[in-house]
Amino acid sequence: MPRCTLCPAVCELGLTRTGPDGWRTEYPLSEDRCICPRGSAIGDLVAHSRRILSPRCRTEGRWHSVSPAEALDRIVSRSRGGVTILLDGNLPCEEIAAVAAWCQAWKAPQLCLVIEPADEALLLGTEASGAEYLPSSSLADCDAFLVIGGALGANPVCARAILDRRKKEPNTPWVVIDPGAGVAAKFATHRVDCPVGGELSSVLAVAGAAGVDVRALGWSSVPQTASATAAGKALAGCKKLAVLLAAEHGRTSLWREIGFLAGTLAKTLGGGVAVQTAGANALAAVRMASALGTVPLAQALSDGPAMRVAVGCDVLGMLGWAEEGTVQAAAAPLPNRTTELAEVVLPLALAAEIKGTYLVDGSERIQTWPLLSPPPGVLTPAGLVEQLARRARVTTLRPSPQPDLSARVAVKPELSPSAVEDPPTRALLLGRQASHAGSGALTGYGAWQAAACGEPDVQLSIEEARRMGLKDHQPVVVQVGGRSVRARVRLASELTGGTAVLSEGFAQTRALMPARFDRSGELVPARPVEFTIGGEPSASK
Amino acid sequence: MNTIGTHSGVVAKRVVLNLDRCIECGSCASACFTSHANMPAISFAGAGPALLPVVCRQCNAAPCVEVCPADAMVRDEQGVVFRRLFRCTGCGSCAWACPFGVLSEQGAGVPTSIRSTDRLTGHQVAKCDLCRDRVTGDDAAVPRCVAACPAGALVFVDEHQAPQARLNMLGGRTTGDNPYKRR
Repeated sequence: MPRCTLCPAVCELGLTRTGPDGWRTEYPLSEDRCICPRGSAIGDLVAHSRRILSPRCRTEGRWHSVSPAEALDRIVSRSRGGVTILLDGNLPCEEIAAVAAWCQAWKAPQLCLVIEPADEALLLGTEASGAEYLPSSSLADCDAFLVIGGALGANPVCARAILDRRKKEPNTPWVVIDPGAGVAAKFATHRVDCPVGGELSSVLAVAGAAGVDVRALGWSSVPQTASATAAGKALAGCKKLAVLLAAEHGRTSLWREIGFLAGTLAKTLGGGVAVQTAGANALAAVRMASALGTVPLAQALSDGPAMRVAVGCDVLGMLGWAEEGTVQAAAAPLPNRTTELAEVVLPLALAAEIKGTYLVDGSERIQTWPLLSPPPGVLTPAGLVEQLARRARVTTLRPSPQPDLSARVAVKPELSPSAVEDPPTRALLLGRQASHAGSGALTGYGAWQAAACGEPDVQLSIEEARRMGLKDHQPVVVQVGGRSVRARVRLASELTGGTAVLSEGFAQTRALMPARFDRSGELVPARPVEFTIGGEPSASK
Repeated sequence: MNTIGTHSGVVAKRVVLNLDRCIECGSCASACFTSHANMPAISFAGAGPALLPVVCRQCNAAPCVEVCPADAMVRDEQGVVFRRLFRCTGCGSCAWACPFGVLSEQGAGVPTSIRSTDRLTGHQVAKCDLCRDRVTGDDAAVPRCVAACPAGALVFVDEHQAPQARLNMLGGRTTGDNPYKRR
């Protein structure tokens, strides 16, 4: 069965032809299944008018078409000084393993599996905690819920099980820690007062009040607030706690600590975690990266070979970077920030055109089948790397064993128990939404996404919008330093004053708060930034 | 009775929104958009900070049918009010007549309808047909907006069963002093 692989829900998909070049994806007929706007968009991507179908190169600022052989030769000729393959980590496990095998045979390249840095940090934390990963089907059996971040925006499908449980047991505690006031805040029985950047402190306070010995974990001081104490006490009596987490870009850099602590809390209260990553195979990528010995993204981008090839991932859009020369070649199904800034662009199959295995809920292996075959001449990621290796005169591939996907990443992360993040007075965050992110590029190319969500929303509290004289849906410009982006105002009843939340799924919003290297050379997700909001300009940057 | 459940020539099963479950993800509108030639029949009501989907109620005495000067709005044998695309002139009479603002380019004073960019259909107001192509002949099938809804907020119910599900035909209810907070 074909499936949408844009989030851990891996919803089943049906494909219907709507015209000579038109396709529609929806849930299979008569099935009691659902599908969010991201899944609905996949049919539009298959035959999208902007689909990259042939290679092109940029010379002295001008793009021109080249033959596939010439594009491959350009990459291989520059790879003699070394090359880094930046591979989308949310591809099927077989694709990742095949690319790793070809890289090993080629010898020149180092491989880096690219997933959202915030997701990676969070997963390393939950892996180290030893907490069980809960499948969506078991959420309805849980008798308490803790939602950290915009988990329902990241995976709308997980809402149903929680709401079903609430319908059955109206007094089920539903605790929300989310300074971005995602939609879960509207359903919360206990909303923890969480200042911007204060997720770790809030989780710590709730965990402490719920009975976790946080001092034994290394945190000497446990902050307490009335709302966190009440929430912790509400959770303390439960038999099976579900912690739903979504690590969003532009919130905090302490996702590893949050994941570890949330996992420990879930384990203590007989439950588990449900990590809502961007893409369905992020956990497999973390485990395979450990087993295959791939290079971390920070290392891949900061030093080493001059030639970097992005395969299937919009690494520059994801990080909010816009510098030419960081990635020299990019293979992607649709244009994105990385292809815009590369010198060689190659076509690539969509994830929906590749069959393979996805690791879901920590242990379940789900097979997906392609909706369609890739267009003629368009290769899968493994096929592309194979062609590159063959151009470099690699002829034989030694079969390598498939990494053990059930093996947790055993490395206990270095926690920063004393880390405190001081947020700015007026803080701009990014928040995940049910559209856009992950459709092959950060920017949605689906027809509905382009029509309905063509511009990011900026959420403001009702009081703040009123004070600024702004109305719902009013176009504005959000400015951070010298950068700006057009957005539509959306009122948010649960948001606190002084905070604004911008849609996460756009390369231009991420460019307002790019990921940076810290002092130790680690790549850390962006933190909240100071912002201003002005009227709509005649032309935005 | 057929799958849509006709009572005296009008539909008995309707799409109802349970306000207490809507997570405002837009899945319903997206599913409708992709399955109706990029003409979404779901409108949105800007209820303060909430943006909630509004689906055609398939009125028993449908004003949109009464006012349509081109006989484009008609009721089929199952009672479903639908719009005949090639008869529609895009005059907007139905939008003025709709008592619920579903057939509207504006919702709560803001443009909420997503318009097709197609030359033929771009000026027309879309109309919910309860996904007749999907629902007819299949008792288990529901309209696409209902099937797409991840939270189970949209339900396809018989009007006589709705009260048992603690729903009225205007949808679920919100709690006490905060109209935007879900139960």
